Amino acid sequence: MIANDFVYCKPGNRREAVKAYRALSKEDKKVFYYNGGSEIITMARAGSNAPDAVIDLKGIKECNKLELEEDYLVIGGAVSLNTIEESGLFPLLGTTGSRIADHTNQCRITLGGNISGTIIYKETVLPLLLTDAKIILYGPRGFRRLQFKNAFDQRIKLRDGEFIYQVKIKKEMLSLPFTHVKKTAIEKIDYPLVTVCSISYGNYLRFAFSGLCSFPFRSVEIEKILNDSQLSAEERLEKTHGLLPEPPVTDYQGTGEYRLFVFDNIIKAILERRNNEVL
Amino acid sequence: MSTTIGENIHRKEAWDKVSGNAKYTDDKPVTGYLHARILTSPHPHARIKSIDCSKASQLKGVRAIITGNDFPVLSGALLEDRPPIAKDVVRYAGEPVAVVVAATEAIALKAVRMIEVEYEPLKAVFSTGEALKKDAPLLHPDLGEYKRIQKDVQPVEYSNIASKFQIRKGNIEEGFSESYAVIERNYKLPPSDHLAMEVRAVRAEISVDGKIKIETSSQAPYTVVKQLSSCFQIPAGNIEVNVPFVGGAFGGKAPVTLEFLAYMACVKVNGAPVRLTVSREEDMATAPCRLGLEAAIKIGAKSDGTITAATFTFYLDTGAYSDISPYMSKAIAVDCTGPYNIPNLSCDSYCIYTNHTYSTSYRGFGHLCYTFCVERAMEDLAEKCGMDPVDFRKTNAIRPGDLTPNQVVSTYSNTGNPELCLEKLKTLLHWDGRRVKRIDNNRVLATGIACLWKSATPPTNAVSGSIITFNSDGSLNLNTGVVEIGSGGQTNLAQMIADRLKMDIKDIHISLAVNTRLNPEHYKTVASMTNYMAGNAVMKAANDVLEQLKTMGAQIYSCAPEEIEVADSKVFKKEQPDQYIEFKDIVSGYQTQNGTSIGEPVIAKGSFLLKGLSKLEPNTGKGRTGPAWTVGAQAVEIEFNQSDYTYKIIKAATVMDVGKVINPNGMKEIIYGGMSMGLSMSSREVYEYNKEGRLNTPNLRTYKLLHIGEEPLYQVEFVETPQTDSPFGSRSISEHGIIGIPAALGNALAAASGIPIQELPLTPEHLWRAKEGIHDSK
Repeated sequence: MIANDFVYCKPGNRREAVKAYRALSKEDKKVFYYNGGSEIITMARAGSNAPDAVIDLKGIKECNKLELEEDYLVIGGAVSLNTIEESGLFPLLGTTGSRIADHTNQCRITLGGNISGTIIYKETVLPLLLTDAKIILYGPRGFRRLQFKNAFDQRIKLRDGEFIYQVKIKKEMLSLPFTHVKKTAIEKIDYPLVTVCSISYGNYLRFAFSGLCSFPFRSVEIEKILNDSQLSAEERLEKTHGLLPEPPVTDYQGTGEYRLFVFDNIIKAILERRNNEVL
Repeated sequence: MSTTIGENIHRKEAWDKVSGNAKYTDDKPVTGYLHARILTSPHPHARIKSIDCSKASQLKGVRAIITGNDFPVLSGALLEDRPPIAKDVVRYAGEPVAVVVAATEAIALKAVRMIEVEYEPLKAVFSTGEALKKDAPLLHPDLGEYKRIQKDVQPVEYSNIASKFQIRKGNIEEGFSESYAVIERNYKLPPSDHLAMEVRAVRAEISVDGKIKIETSSQAPYTVVKQLSSCFQIPAGNIEVNVPFVGGAFGGKAPVTLEFLAYMACVKVNGAPVRLTVSREEDMATAPCRLGLEAAIKIGAKSDGTITAATFTFYLDTGAYSDISPYMSKAIAVDCTGPYNIPNLSCDSYCIYTNHTYSTSYRGFGHLCYTFCVERAMEDLAEKCGMDPVDFRKTNAIRPGDLTPNQVVSTYSNTGNPELCLEKLKTLLHWDGRRVKRIDNNRVLATGIACLWKSATPPTNAVSGSIITFNSDGSLNLNTGVVEIGSGGQTNLAQMIADRLKMDIKDIHISLAVNTRLNPEHYKTVASMTNYMAGNAVMKAANDVLEQLKTMGAQIYSCAPEEIEVADSKVFKKEQPDQYIEFKDIVSGYQTQNGTSIGEPVIAKGSFLLKGLSKLEPNTGKGRTGPAWTVGAQAVEIEFNQSDYTYKIIKAATVMDVGKVINPNGMKEIIYGGMSMGLSMSSREVYEYNKEGRLNTPNLRTYKLLHIGEEPLYQVEFVETPQTDSPFGSRSISEHGIIGIPAALGNALAAASGIPIQELPLTPEHLWRAKEGIHDSK
């Protein structure tokens, strides 16, 4: 039960969406763009962050686009995790999404929502960071087209009134060999202790992480260490610990030290397999 | 007509449930109702300085706001220590502070969030250890003045001890002096929740002439009547409680909780119908949960494995209020050994207040908690004696002539046969004595064993009743006060009648909802006592049917009643089975061809009152608390990864002495359910509190249960040692599948990992930590 009344608005195109945002966000009103709504429902039920108005982006055709164009795969912000997975167009993103929440919610949670929500894990960010994705934002001042890594630093850097319009990934990046490992406290369907996504690009491993710290990240420095075959696996891990952007998270799911233990096990297994493949 | 005892009969309510047609308390339309929601305390212990409802009450649509000052009453199952709405003080985070009644649920919820409460936080205690310290803050400074409903509950004034029960048997010093091996262990289990699929819900209305109608999701409709009556000084006859289907309860719906609030809300709106609902979060944080337990255990055995002595100390964390926990401390004391003969025994079982959510009965009534501790210790002692864990348990299994902890002489009838259960479990597991088998470099397969036993601890005068009527087609209506909480109890009762009357079970209809005005009282649908208590009442009613039919038959056939036979829904003379009267022509009285009426409509009854039970002798704990025990042996097999401490549960097995198999698949399912619940509870479930004393995970997004897809292979086999005073010799089994499972999982993991498992839940991080801890101390 959501106690508060709120305005629901479903614009038919991007301009109307921004117009609605401007009109509704007067007088300090809390206005949320939304696609799936799972997070908004959770927060509003608890009474912790209830909106005064929501703007449903699912009416915007381009935000529902999921199409392989000449050079790029285009994914609209309102495309659900399940749709991405079932399309088979981007296996790493599909796999990652298929381990977020349960199937019912995968049919609701969208790419745009997962990237911009308040839940800290945002695992769909990992494949996008690894594959040099581009992001297209739309707001009151029109389009902004950015490298995904420049638009995302701990969280998505949206300007007031902007929303995630589309994400584009180069075709050649879609089918690279990848590893996706998600470890939870005990249940399969749960937030991650650690999720690691890794791709092999030009015989070089790229890594991105969720769960370990309070935000998802990819670190070029960590990749350098993990690719350094002069170092033993233990040395690589030890150096990696020193390069984390912040100490690992401790919460009810697991302590920071345990997350590191899980992290080490995942990385060791990936490196070992890599080693066996090279040999 | 062959018997239906031992047949796989579908549950009587199966079609309603699988078709989604079964209606639960909150499934009724909401039109015509006002809606109530609860404001709860964010503090675990605080003085309520003020409650300002002025803003909330101005909200359009708000009809009433109730606080603890409106009805300053105390409630409780055994000890009246709980105000239904906190007054002056809150004692746990989640405790109701106010109730709002409004035109819609949304308005009620909105108003709840507009109430301003000023608290003065008080020092809180979060463990039984802290609560027992000399300078510990007292949760109940007036503990000595509370009304005691049951006189054997004796709170200790100016302490946090709600009650204590003890067992003294034999000579402890002598017992330990004969021991060759002695182990001492401490164990700790945190509280967790029942998590019935249906959250608690209630509706109330009061007629202009003061008749109160309550519709609720409860295991104890007759207790709702009694407690409302006693709390608010209402004649019990003015209260009518109706319970439709209950969507899971597991003991959590035995206490009276929301019913008080709904009644108060209803009074405040002049009796208008009120619907009170809680969110899942409130169902977890506000309604009572499963208790936590700390234990100190010492057991000694001779070199041949014979146990000579044991001392047990149990500290039950009952949370802020005692509810039924004092009787759980009693039940734990009475059954503290498990199904073993320990000649020299000392047990102290304390029920302690803390600032946690208060606790109540949970499947197994405390047995699964203490059994985890005792069976973990047994495992270590077996190892210390160099014995196979199954043989060790067989050596010590209780046998006829042995004395139970409460000094009842054990017989096959009152106890069953634990040795045979263990023997059968060995066969089922293909047991070769190896607890651990290596799969590869990292993984091992490990098996853990545990025994269980449980007797019920009802009031010594608990009742049950049954009424049988007939329909015009000759089919039968069975009417009892048993609530259908998912255990299939009513179907078992129908099977018993079908056998006794030699009729087709399809012609036996059951009244599934319970209404206290219509259905004869059944104490509570708890303690797995349906077969025994309601079973005895139903058998008496069936005998009454036979007697009435035979009397009429004798009149019709002009013979003695003994010459009449009843079978296949027909009444006939034994020697002339081909000349019969069908039930449809006799159950409403018989009319001869010339129009003469004979006999009367058949309305039969049977009632039952527990007898032969006694309170415990306070010093020794001698006394008879329940009619009989049920014993069993269980095993859990896991695949454990030694490199990352993760594990997969492969198999869970139970051999239980059920007395008599009434419905094989039905009974297996209920035991599977118990095992599943035990695996979930011991592997992952925990009420984790943050520094402020609030529940960290009061929702199903973060509080995890075992899910479909994670279930192992379940195996169940039966032993049949009849309990002679129970219908068909059957025993209580509904709760029991859970009892030994936490211990069996703990024993499997201890064997696989070498970790001395002493706490729950057994998450991979917990195991990793325990192992690292060992490294540290080296």
